[in-house]
Amino acid sequence: MAVEVDDNDLKAAGAELLTEGRRGIRIHGWEVHSRNCSILTSSTLELWEEKLQTSHLPEMIFGDSCLVLKHIKSGTKIHFNAFDALLGWKQEALPPVEVPAAEKWKFRSKPSQQVILDYDYTFTTPYRGSETIEINATKHEREGVSEGTYNLQWEDCKEKIDVATLAPKEPILFYDEVILYEDELADNGVSLLTVKVRVMPSSWFLLLRFWLRVDGVLMRIRDTRMHCIFGDNANPTILRESCWRESTFQSLSAKGYPSDSAAYSDPSTISERLPIVMHKSEVLKVPGNF
Amino acid sequence: MSDLDRQIEQLKKCEPLKESEVKALCLKAMEILVEESNVQRVDAPVTGECASRTWHYEAICLYVLETSFTQRAQYNMFWCIFIVVEEDPICGDIHGQFYDMKELFKVGGDCPKTNYLFLGDFVDRGFYSVETFLLLLALKVRYPDRITLIRGNHESRQITQVKVYGFYDECLRKYGSVNVWRYCTDIFDYLSLSALIENKIFSVHGGLSPTISTLDQIRIIDRKQEVPHDGAMCDLLWSDPEDIVDGWGLSPRGAGYLFGGCVVTSFNHANNIDYICRAHQLVMEGYKWMFNSQIVTVWSAPNYCYRCGNVAAILELDENLNKQFRVFEAAPQESRGAPAKKPAPDYFL
Repeated sequence: MAVEVDDNDLKAAGAELLTEGRRGIRIHGWEVHSRNCSILTSSTLELWEEKLQTSHLPEMIFGDSCLVLKHIKSGTKIHFNAFDALLGWKQEALPPVEVPAAEKWKFRSKPSQQVILDYDYTFTTPYRGSETIEINATKHEREGVSEGTYNLQWEDCKEKIDVATLAPKEPILFYDEVILYEDELADNGVSLLTVKVRVMPSSWFLLLRFWLRVDGVLMRIRDTRMHCIFGDNANPTILRESCWRESTFQSLSAKGYPSDSAAYSDPSTISERLPIVMHKSEVLKVPGNF
Repeated sequence: MSDLDRQIEQLKKCEPLKESEVKALCLKAMEILVEESNVQRVDAPVTGECASRTWHYEAICLYVLETSFTQRAQYNMFWCIFIVVEEDPICGDIHGQFYDMKELFKVGGDCPKTNYLFLGDFVDRGFYSVETFLLLLALKVRYPDRITLIRGNHESRQITQVKVYGFYDECLRKYGSVNVWRYCTDIFDYLSLSALIENKIFSVHGGLSPTISTLDQIRIIDRKQEVPHDGAMCDLLWSDPEDIVDGWGLSPRGAGYLFGGCVVTSFNHANNIDYICRAHQLVMEGYKWMFNSQIVTVWSAPNYCYRCGNVAAILELDENLNKQFRVFEAAPQESRGAPAKKPAPDYFL
């Protein structure tokens, strides 16, 4: 998904693309790097099942795919990966949602030796990204949380992301979309966790989106946006805004909206129709001296 | 060259047929499929021992037409002994990935030289469901005994309509009307539900059902209908084997069965079969054995959805049912003829 960028735009912004096959950009003291890989092999999948203590994971886990935004000087690292997101799913453990066919199934005669599984098959996650400070900034970022890393504290704030500054008046110097996991809910809809990033001369902006549609039952969007305006390169500030929306098909159709799943294939066009169930803004002041 | 042969050549180039041709093809296919059993018998290939393996099918057909009745009777013997199909592959899901299916044919050999059994899910998700399904259907009409197509859960009106990159949208886009989708979904109702290879390998798209313990119970299902939301026919197309249950497990969705090792053991024992071969679930390595080699999942769509990076597999069987998995990768990008999905930078908010 790499896209050609104008060299002059890069030069003017004081930015350079990463080399040696790594996809990303270095700009104003930040290194933004994305990686799109294959789904997990069966043996790694088993390892994850063990670590997460579950025997049910999404059909497609892009376990080695990631998006990493690193403030080079402080070692502050904001990153997105499927494993941390699934840890969140495991902890939240929402009760299962029945599909429409379940009504009919209640009248089926039960086989002897039947167990009813009760994990959250929608893989709904409260994940809003991972963050660490790597003291030894030369350590390779794949190692994730380890000794010598500290968790960062986001503070609640009232500020909102200034959408006007994100209007399409600047060139996009780097853009990518990374799928972290995906499941078709055994053809009953979709569960999809993706993160998109765009880097412009004046800021970077990202959207982490969990999108769930259980056909005929409910839709859920959990968005986390982060915005960092390049200014004070030594002590940058990141604004994070989370917005969770949810609605049943029933209440949508009561409002006069269509109730067939085909009308809801693209979350970005329908998100406004879903009422907000949680919204919060936070700020992270990246410490300059470590 | 007959119309049908010309259509097959056209479809092999990934060019769809005209609407009227699709209609005629579906009518012919219906006549063939309606005769098939819910448990379609498939014979393992017989291998020859002489140079006759170079005989081309067409040449033999011509020979048959030109010989007298008596000679034809002799020929039939010849056929049994010498028609050479080295292996008889079983293929899992394809999902409209036409160019990857061509890779499959490269690995397995051309139909009709090779017998094929496809385990359903021909459509949805890939960009070429129309061409994929029509090519398989045309091969079925042309060589009914050389290719067996059974039904997957995606061969359904409902599923093909709700999918992104679904078969319904694709028909609408390519033909400007839903007629082709209608002809094809009507044919879906006629596809067999399972196959039995040499009485030893039971093949089905999804898995087992708690209401089915013998193959005869499958044989009496009235299959000519849309895939129902529950019951035996639904289970055969939808259910999955599952490690953590021993008997039956009900999905947390409230619909959909999972079956454990004990269920497979008793089914295989009761029906005197060696193992079950099914598809339905994505496997990174193309195939996966479970429960002590009593059931195998075969997945034949490499780089599923054009992004999973998985390999695909077919299972080849010789006349003694010796098995060999042939693993293959997705067609190289340049041979696809279609643009890679390269979204432009998007000023998302």
